[in-house]
Amino acid sequence: MKTNTWLAAAALVSLVAGPACKGKDGDAGSASGKMTEGDKGKTAEPSGGGGGKVAIGGSGSTFQKAFQENSIDAFTKDHANIKVTYGGGGSGKGRQELADLVVDFACSDSPYKDADLAKNKGGDVLYFPDVLGAITVSYNLDGVDKLNLSPDTLAKIFGRDIKKWNDPAIAADNKDAKLPDTEIVVAHRSDGSGTTDNFTKYLDTASGGAWKLKSGSTVDWPKDTQAGNGNGGVAQIITSTKGAIGYVDLSDAKAAKLHYANIKNKAGKFIEPTTESTSAAADGVDVQPNLVFSALDAKGEAAYPITGQSWIIVYAKPANKDKAAALKTYIKFLLTDAQKDLSGLDFAPLPKSIADKAIAQLDKIQG
Amino acid sequence: MSDATPATDRPRLDLRGQRAHGDQAFRYLAIGAAALVLLVLGLIAITMTQRAIPVLRTMGLDFFTSTTWSEHDERFGALPFIWGTIYTATIAVVLSVPVSLGVALFITQVAPSWLKKPLIYLVDLLAVVPSVVFGLWGVLMLAPHLGRSFLSAGIILAIMITPIITSLAREVIETTAQADKEAAFALGATRWEMIRAAVFPHARSGLVGAVMLGLGRAMGETIAAALVIGSSAQIALSPLSSGDSMPAVIANQWAEAGATQKSALIALAVTLFVMTIIVNLIASAIVRRSMIRSRGVGG
Amino acid sequence: MSLGGELTRAFDLRPKRSWRGVKSNLMTVLMAAAVGLIAIPLVLVMVSVFSKGGAILFHDFPSFLTADIPPVRKAGPGMGPAVIGTLIITGTATLIAVPLGVLGAIFLNEYGGASKFARLVRFMAMVMTGVPSIVMGLFIYVVWTMHFHLQAFGGALALACLMLPIVINASEQMLRLVPNSLREASFALGATKARTVLTVVLPAAGSGIVSGSLLAVARAAGETAPLLFTIGAARTINTALFTDENTALSARIFENAKEAVVNAQDRGWGAALALVLLAFSLTVIARVVTAYATKVRK
Repeated sequence: MKTNTWLAAAALVSLVAGPACKGKDGDAGSASGKMTEGDKGKTAEPSGGGGGKVAIGGSGSTFQKAFQENSIDAFTKDHANIKVTYGGGGSGKGRQELADLVVDFACSDSPYKDADLAKNKGGDVLYFPDVLGAITVSYNLDGVDKLNLSPDTLAKIFGRDIKKWNDPAIAADNKDAKLPDTEIVVAHRSDGSGTTDNFTKYLDTASGGAWKLKSGSTVDWPKDTQAGNGNGGVAQIITSTKGAIGYVDLSDAKAAKLHYANIKNKAGKFIEPTTESTSAAADGVDVQPNLVFSALDAKGEAAYPITGQSWIIVYAKPANKDKAAALKTYIKFLLTDAQKDLSGLDFAPLPKSIADKAIAQLDKIQG
Repeated sequence: MSDATPATDRPRLDLRGQRAHGDQAFRYLAIGAAALVLLVLGLIAITMTQRAIPVLRTMGLDFFTSTTWSEHDERFGALPFIWGTIYTATIAVVLSVPVSLGVALFITQVAPSWLKKPLIYLVDLLAVVPSVVFGLWGVLMLAPHLGRSFLSAGIILAIMITPIITSLAREVIETTAQADKEAAFALGATRWEMIRAAVFPHARSGLVGAVMLGLGRAMGETIAAALVIGSSAQIALSPLSSGDSMPAVIANQWAEAGATQKSALIALAVTLFVMTIIVNLIASAIVRRSMIRSRGVGG
Repeated sequence: MSLGGELTRAFDLRPKRSWRGVKSNLMTVLMAAAVGLIAIPLVLVMVSVFSKGGAILFHDFPSFLTADIPPVRKAGPGMGPAVIGTLIITGTATLIAVPLGVLGAIFLNEYGGASKFARLVRFMAMVMTGVPSIVMGLFIYVVWTMHFHLQAFGGALALACLMLPIVINASEQMLRLVPNSLREASFALGATKARTVLTVVLPAAGSGIVSGSLLAVARAAGETAPLLFTIGAARTINTALFTDENTALSARIFENAKEAVVNAQDRGWGAALALVLLAFSLTVIARVVTAYATKVRK
């Protein structure tokens, strides 16, 4: 009997284990379950609910997440046959998923690196700028409601050269403030983030050499800093940690009721991040033919220096005709009607010249 | 209970000469179900190690000794997270053991019988609360005061492993022979002296085993740590500094990870798996040996 | 009651102006303090969960449990998808783990005995209870989710793997308690082994198995890590097991705990309350089942 038991068990085990061990498919980003509130399944299959419905799914920037969610809600009211879902997860994730054809559109605060463009499985991409927003430097410090920071001080804080709030470099710009002897806790992003990319690019250009860690969607932050997921995650570190400082887009900073600093711009003035100072930064920006541009460290007296921009990216040739039409309709909505909601969400609308160019580019979507 | 002879001693009763088909089928079904345990464990070991190999090939043994974890450069060193896991689990055990022991002793030696059951229920209630609820409370109510640090994570882990250690300790302490206790009293011992003379020597190894099981559980706990530990990849000595632990890193970085990073995270999972298994095996061996010694029951 | 028993009353009544007596009473106080210490976090957490969670859960009563999940910043209730998700995923996991676990325990106790195979299985089941839940989640991701994508069933599989060894252990202990005389009587009447197990042994051990399984279900309902990699993040109710992403109370609590916006945090507390109530009810039912069975047996 004993041998039989062993044999039976071995047979059963191999029967089940055989097929299970065989499948070693590549990881094409298919199980990317980043779960923030407001997520919905973002399958790229042309399934739709039934009866002529088209589903388009996207992921990426948390910088413009609030804008996307708001727009989807408004868009669905008038276009019941198009189902739009947006998953967030960071600009890096969005670009990766679009490259792997897991989503139909990606929202990103920075364009693809040239080296990565070749990896896009669907061919050429089109960039449609849809939102501008301020990246605040938010902080949590009792008794300090107003804070002025200049770019080189910022670089030293985030590079951990300055470790305490009452450091002379900070005090120099803030004669009236009572800066305590507290440790600075630096918060940054753990995920691949366009916000990080823009923030570090700004530090690179504007800090006059004080920023040593280069720029990119992910950065080798000093070891004694804390990491959070998404703009919301960084906001949460700041709200719950005394002495914390971090970079959060204006929309999320306001929703979390954070205090944020006035940053010295190119013209030498300390500017508060608002929709007005954001728009001021966008005026007179140099736009490339493919609609890529940068509003960072802009000229102008009233311009907020850390202004980020974000795009919605699609393939010039989407998966099928229905999706192409749906994407065109949705992006047009983002560039026209949805722009009115932007200031209510603490973003800034695109300058008319850029918006017009983007609408004209819609014709390039084939299918 | 005197009828319940252990499975080892029971004769294989079957009065029929040959077995009916249904009987055989049922038997194979039962065998298959039991074999599932082996299947799943085997699959875990095989498939996870397979996926961990790419990163180990790139990093070699540096995976365990390097302190750089960089998606940017695709170099992954797990040492800060191994440190964080061990450190927070240690804090948890240091905080939890006195309390668990105290509660177990109180329930078994001090409490009058009407109080015993409610106290046991209280401890069980703590065990039923899901870890994510403790995590939520920790990050919104505890971390603002203590910061996101090894200490905050250690406290939450301590809260979670206390019921485990307490119930095991209770079981072990209760096997102390009544005769030993009475002998101590007869010799004029106070209660505390009786505990030290009769209970501790007897229960010592079982208690050690219970503590180690709690340690194993604390090492593997993901969610509470992920929320309050601070997510910094540093090896720091101060309990108030932030850090990271293996399961927390996996939980926080998985969704955005590229292929190499995913392999590194799986390698972390395998490391954690091996570490917790070793701790649990040692613990179970110790507990079992102490139970055998006290009850005289085989295996 | 024996001399020792009487003397283990709350306070040491022997004559003591000596240091020894005082020390013993001091230790007793410390032990009582330990009980207090264990109660403090329980009380603190429960107070937060019930007050903050209660505010949103009972606000508009059923709406919290049925409405869709609103975007992060919106105020207002809505964890319907998570409630359905938890019920579906945990329910499926139970349907998988309990029958298989009971069958496994039947093998160990009724057929396997002390054979090498049975001892190996018993040992491995014990090892399996120590596997961290996150490792289970990654495992199911690698063998299931990568092929079949994010869906509720993957989460159910992961939870079932966690529950299986617990159910096997608890059931085996219950089966062991069934007196051998019952089995012998059944064989004497001519029943086959399978029939004996199914009609005599199982019912006798039934209540213990049920209550042990309920505790395993309560534990599984609260698990988060295994679900993170397998079920995705749906915002609307999804009752399908194999299609589209889903969500669960535990996973939602985890995500909302990371948000800075108070509205999202409030929903997290509400979900925490719902989950705690679920776990508590299962535990209470398990105890009632045990108590009833003990009463019946007497």
